[in-house]
Amino acid sequence: MLKRLIFLRGAEVIAFVLLGLIPLWVSNSYALGLLTLLAIYGILLIGLDVTVGYLGQVNLAQAAFLGLGAYAAGVCVTLFGFGIFSALAVSMLIGLTLGALLAFPALRLEGPQFALATLSFSALSTTVLNEWEGLTGGAQGLSLNRPAFFGHAVDAPGFYWLCLILLAVVWMAMRNLLSSQWGRAFEALRDSPIATDAMGVGTYRHKVAGFAFGSSLGGLAGGLYAFNFQYLQPQSFTYDLMVILLLGVVLGGRKSLWGAFFGASLIVLLPNLLSNRLLFEIVAALGLLLALVVGLRSWLSKHQLQFQAVAPIIAMGMLVIGGFMVENTENWRKAIFALMLFSVVVGLPDGIMGFVARYLTQLFRIAPPALPQASTLDSVLPAKASDGAILLELQNLKRYFGGVKAVDDVSMQVHSGAVHGLIGPNGSGKSTAVNVISGLYAPTEGKVLLHGKLLPSGSLFKVARAGVSRTFQNLQLFGELSALDNVMLALKDAYRVPLPLVLLGLAKSEEICAQSDALALLQLVGLEKQARVHAKDLTYGSQRFLEIARALARKPELLILDEPAAGLAHPDVSVLVAIIKSIKQRGTTIILIEHHMDVVSELCDTVTVVDGGKIIAAGTPEEVKRDLKVIKAYLGVADEAPLQA
Amino acid sequence: MNSLIIAQMAVSGALMGLVYALIAYGFQLTFATSKSINFGQGELVMLSAFFSLTLLNLGAPYWLMIPGGLLFGVVMGLVVERACVRLTLEQKSEGWILLTIIFGLLGFSAAENIWGRDDRPFPSPISSDALHILGINVTPVEISVAIGVFAVMGVIELFKRKTLLGKAFEAVSADRDAAELMGISATHTIMLSYGLSGMVAAMAGILISPITTVGPTMASALILKAFSVAVVAGLDSGFGVVVIGILIGVLESLTSYYLGSGWRETPGLLLLILALAIRPNGVFGKVSIRKV
Repeated sequence: MLKRLIFLRGAEVIAFVLLGLIPLWVSNSYALGLLTLLAIYGILLIGLDVTVGYLGQVNLAQAAFLGLGAYAAGVCVTLFGFGIFSALAVSMLIGLTLGALLAFPALRLEGPQFALATLSFSALSTTVLNEWEGLTGGAQGLSLNRPAFFGHAVDAPGFYWLCLILLAVVWMAMRNLLSSQWGRAFEALRDSPIATDAMGVGTYRHKVAGFAFGSSLGGLAGGLYAFNFQYLQPQSFTYDLMVILLLGVVLGGRKSLWGAFFGASLIVLLPNLLSNRLLFEIVAALGLLLALVVGLRSWLSKHQLQFQAVAPIIAMGMLVIGGFMVENTENWRKAIFALMLFSVVVGLPDGIMGFVARYLTQLFRIAPPALPQASTLDSVLPAKASDGAILLELQNLKRYFGGVKAVDDVSMQVHSGAVHGLIGPNGSGKSTAVNVISGLYAPTEGKVLLHGKLLPSGSLFKVARAGVSRTFQNLQLFGELSALDNVMLALKDAYRVPLPLVLLGLAKSEEICAQSDALALLQLVGLEKQARVHAKDLTYGSQRFLEIARALARKPELLILDEPAAGLAHPDVSVLVAIIKSIKQRGTTIILIEHHMDVVSELCDTVTVVDGGKIIAAGTPEEVKRDLKVIKAYLGVADEAPLQA
Repeated sequence: MNSLIIAQMAVSGALMGLVYALIAYGFQLTFATSKSINFGQGELVMLSAFFSLTLLNLGAPYWLMIPGGLLFGVVMGLVVERACVRLTLEQKSEGWILLTIIFGLLGFSAAENIWGRDDRPFPSPISSDALHILGINVTPVEISVAIGVFAVMGVIELFKRKTLLGKAFEAVSADRDAAELMGISATHTIMLSYGLSGMVAAMAGILISPITTVGPTMASALILKAFSVAVVAGLDSGFGVVVIGILIGVLESLTSYYLGSGWRETPGLLLLILALAIRPNGVFGKVSIRKV
């Protein structure tokens, strides 16, 4: 624990103290200017990393937010005479508001559409900055003076310290955010947006909030940028800058504060690097060397695809050879960025910091902080007395896909405290029915009632919030999160500290409580020893059990298990049966979709059989097994399909 | 008089819109097979135009330049697929967005240094003397743009429907896994789609250059609108891009007339963001069903 504190926090403290002390020794104004820019770009890149790294989306709007923030500060100071801090606050607010406005439509879709929307936003904001001449001065640019700070003029070192302090604050706030439920949600929604919704953690709202937060940091950096240069032009914030920013984040290393810091220093140093021929040759040669080392290693170990080993070597080779052929490297600036960026994206997807961090962790092996004692299961999942009343009711439920009647007029009742089996041959509509109940699909017609009240339709998130929790037939775990984090993410009512306090780091005690509770649920499914293991590294059976523990963390009134025994080895099936029995004992109502008839017979109080989207039988497992229609549906009947001799 | 000016603006805007539609059609070709698009497509248009201009300057006759330029586009499309797309598709990541942007940047920088930063005229044997039709001026060059756009799209659509290779293309678009099980190589089909897409980009470059001139920055002006067209129309409707292309072309032409040329790009950009808000799959797009 102490070692962890010294290494991780110590490195940060030392870095910031050293950076802070530099102006006392060095009075070179050029170097100071570079350091100031480093701090500003550091803030900007930490913001960009939220979307590019944590949300996993290509964001092409951060340069625009820098520009908008810069102009906001500039206009506040020149037109309204704001002070330095109020102007910065306005910059941040502009970033936050416009970020949220852009995110609302843009984040509804993944991938290229999002990138395109941010690209359009950038182009649009450049147009506005250029054309709204009354406010921004248009292409002429906007000059401003750095406002005084409580009557004192802010000199260069003073401004540098301000930027550095803000970087440190942003750094800490970001770290606090990422180690809270928010950080978990960001990771989770990249792995499985569907499961994130189904666990009552809104995918969309977290994405929007994350993007808006990143944009507000862009706005803040913009305000500082304005006070640093004291002259703004719309052309400074175009696509070119955006590509350089992406270069910074990717090259430095995504999902890493140090990576953003490293990327920022790189961006600051790039112009110098290109203007000095010798320096450029050295960097290009080092790049080629790195590509060769990484490439050969992965080629030998056959770990990566060959293209991944060879392509960066070719790209860096082009850089070295091109460096000899070209007269002026500055003219080829963009091509040089492109080749470097290409090599990193292909060959070192974790960036340079990720590469370094892997070796450092092997070298120092810092143990994760110890886990707290598990809570008692009774406090996490209090036993409920079941009254046997109707909990869930489907009324004439229909769901059609075009002409396919996947669920066709299904009505059924699930009683509180019961294990209700839902069985039927493949393609009979069980999964669709469950998907409608849990809100993945809106019903075509009919109602789903919980406690006699209509369940929200067509929203996994809202249904999860209403007290229905589910597992998935095709596992939807958050593979990059540990087993513990998978459960912690879903924990209901565990996180009450509001966002501003989370940013200040005041959510630690809540985190520890959540850890204890999650451990209790892991104990229930027998996974407490694997709490720190990444979900993707668990065995298949353990993954199935983890899904159940995660669904239970919602403390659901109704738990839907979608084929939990599918693909399980025989010993695991008996463990599963034991787990489901103990859940039932606590009074949680369960809908069980299953093919294993022995599991169904052993666990279920009532069984509903569907075929072709309709209910063909209902009753106790024994009754259903003897039902002729059920036998026909599963096995076929000889006289209907006579065998051809 | 005023209505005549509006009609004039609308017609020339619509003709520009057809070029946006053609570029957007190039996005659709690759999106259909691989769910990826080339963010450097604008640079492909520009590079192909420069290459074709060089062919002309080297003394190649106009009618020989066209296949040469198209071949260049095909080759560049294949390079993009190999260098920027294939790996990330294998990794099931969206790295291709970043990599194709990088490719565009490289192409831009190369063009800037090889051919210079200035815009250059692109000679065309087709006359640019205006014809007066119902009081509206239309040049034969502009008409050739419309004919060229429809010809390329028509040929590719015919290819997709009538040839075996085209049917393979459609099969991979419909269901990649099923097509692979039937012995169709998805990788080859995606290569084909990128080749075709590169060809379409080259055609767009050759068609538009006589009107706009050729320069390194021609890409960024075109590409944003082509993106808008593709997203607003939906990434799977060839008919849609033509309609939306014409619409956006007309709108931007009218906007630049009434608000000034600086605002020219706004309608396309606003429509794009609006479309994402209201119909994320595009006006003519299919709604996809989430599966678990």
